[in-house]
Amino acid sequence: MWKTILKIFGILYLPLLMLSLILFFFQKKEHINYYSHLQKRETQIKKSLFLDLFHTPIHNGNYWANLEYPADFDPLHKDEAFMKPYIAIIKGLTDYDQFRFIDLKGQEFFRVERKGTDSLEIGGLQDKHKRPYFKKGVTLTEGQLYLSPINLNREYGEIEKPFKPVLRVVGPIFDINNKKIGIFVINFKMEKILDLLRSNIVDNNFYLLNDSLNIITTNTFKNHIPYELSKSVSSLDKTSGLSDELFKKDTTILSNHHIYTIYPINLNEPKQLSAFGSNAPLKIVTSSNWVVVHELPSSFMYATLRPLYLGVGILNLFAIIVLMSLAYFFVKNRVEREMYFNELETNNGLLLESNQKISNMNQRITTRNKQLSEFNYLVSHNLKAPVSSLSVIVKMIKKENELEKVNELMPSLVQISESITELAKDMGNYVSILNEKELKIEQVDIELLIDKVKNEFSEIILYPNDFEVYVDLKAWKQIEFSRFYLQSVVQNLISNAIKYRRKDVASFIKFRTAVENDKKALYITDNGIGINLKKHGDNIFKLYKRFHRQTSGKGIGLFLVKSQLESLEATITIESEENAGSTLKILFN
Amino acid sequence: MKECNILLVDDDEVYLFIMDKLIKSLSNDLKVSSFTDGEQAVKFLSLCSEEHIKLPEVIFLDINMPFLDGWGFLVEFKKIKPLLHDKINIYMVSSSSRDEDIVRAAQFEELTGYVIKPMDEDQLLEILTNIYADNW
Repeated sequence: MWKTILKIFGILYLPLLMLSLILFFFQKKEHINYYSHLQKRETQIKKSLFLDLFHTPIHNGNYWANLEYPADFDPLHKDEAFMKPYIAIIKGLTDYDQFRFIDLKGQEFFRVERKGTDSLEIGGLQDKHKRPYFKKGVTLTEGQLYLSPINLNREYGEIEKPFKPVLRVVGPIFDINNKKIGIFVINFKMEKILDLLRSNIVDNNFYLLNDSLNIITTNTFKNHIPYELSKSVSSLDKTSGLSDELFKKDTTILSNHHIYTIYPINLNEPKQLSAFGSNAPLKIVTSSNWVVVHELPSSFMYATLRPLYLGVGILNLFAIIVLMSLAYFFVKNRVEREMYFNELETNNGLLLESNQKISNMNQRITTRNKQLSEFNYLVSHNLKAPVSSLSVIVKMIKKENELEKVNELMPSLVQISESITELAKDMGNYVSILNEKELKIEQVDIELLIDKVKNEFSEIILYPNDFEVYVDLKAWKQIEFSRFYLQSVVQNLISNAIKYRRKDVASFIKFRTAVENDKKALYITDNGIGINLKKHGDNIFKLYKRFHRQTSGKGIGLFLVKSQLESLEATITIESEENAGSTLKILFN
Repeated sequence: MKECNILLVDDDEVYLFIMDKLIKSLSNDLKVSSFTDGEQAVKFLSLCSEEHIKLPEVIFLDINMPFLDGWGFLVEFKKIKPLLHDKINIYMVSSSSRDEDIVRAAQFEELTGYVIKPMDEDQLLEILTNIYADNW
């Protein structure tokens, strides 16, 4: 039953499930598209903000690059007066952490370092010819600016505390004779810019990445440039599982339920350069191509998709409950109906059975009635004749005076008494057949029975060649019947076959069993003289009917056979042809 | 008065004996012949018509007989009737008073009457008077 329920449920529910999943899929996609779109805009804004914020260092760089420095520029001694107003400027620009001039050999010849917000420390020159920014700086030609990677400032190889993210802006300097005298280096404090960049975050995470996709700043870490502080912070392509190819162009991608929007920044785009103003550098040389990234984390995705998940879930749950109960009641109803039908069928069967019983009983009663009426007729008819004759003779005797004449009547009286005695005997036989109660019904082996009976006939034993008994009992051998009756039937039929055989042919009787309409049948065929059924058909099985003058017989054998068979609900019929033989058919019930 | 023939067909020999006595006691002119079954009677009638022997005027026919019973006799009689030159009165005489037999007897127009055994003297006299009235 549960198998059927589940099957029906499945048929009903699967299309619904598929539909809901398709709907869910499209809803989700639309949702993601919406947030992707939103994030793209935010990232674009962030990129613009980044560029805006970079105006300042680039402008500053431009400023120092375009100054005309005195020949043999010596800011600490000879040109101290020249340098003075510039030192005031440097002092005012609080984003400057350090400002230096380095000659073409890598030796600082001017150095200003900020100590606190208002005071500067001048001097403390160092040799920087090994530093990467120097190496880059000396190669620059006029109009070029170099931006270093954004790093935490290190002094003598150690990260300076408090952490100080800096960008070094480097450019070449020329004296009034347009002779390249060295480079300037601004250590630009990036804390403010980075703080600005990562602020204003609503739901998504912001990352500013450097060339090697390491995080410079993000709202997910408290400190800027976290990878320099801890080795466990790896580059974003590794933590996000995104291929680094994706970071080379504008990309928006859904990965592991995160939406990433990646916008790399190219400061050298003509459009970009012109945005820096009229005295923009010709080229910005930078060892760092920054990348602006926004990430919509999966937790946010889950949170926003939650109503959708919930809706689909509730819908499906509701559908499961409704369809399951529907299938259950449908199947239950069907099973109940089947049970009802089965019961009806059983009842019907019982009814048919009892009907059959009643009809059988009816048949038996009908047979019995017929037999009784037959008996009644036989008694009245056969008894009436001798009795009436008797009364007439008695009357005659009374009237007669002469003894001689009375004596003449005596043989008739003897004849009457004999016939009455004979009749009484025959009736006795018949009544014992009608009184079937005493009969023992048992399994009778017909082959054994025929064998036994045939040996009672001297004709068969003495002249086996003249009269043969054949059997063909393939269909059945055993039958539930009265052994006594069946023996009597076989006896009578063999006796008749012998009595009415044709003397001019080899005679036989053949017993053959068959099954017809589930009933057992026994065919008894002989090649005797046969009988004209047109003439005698009605009387074959009647009492005291004889049809052959040449043979002795009382006309009781077949009558008894029929009575015996009918008392046990078997029937007997005959087919016969004169001078050819007869076939009797016994159909058992 | 010419000779009158009565034919009895019955297998009950006592009955034949009694009828013979009874008929002869009525008149000496009545000649009685008898057969114990229908077959012999049919053969006799055929023979009579062939050899132009005088046919019986009356046949008292029993129903229950061996070889050919009363009904069988009537069927055979129907066949030879066109060959017979004289009318024969056939009376069915039976100890059966079953309606079945009486109804069946009524279907044979060859039958003059149906008498239930035992037939007494008065009945016999009445029958014979009806038949031989013209001759007596």
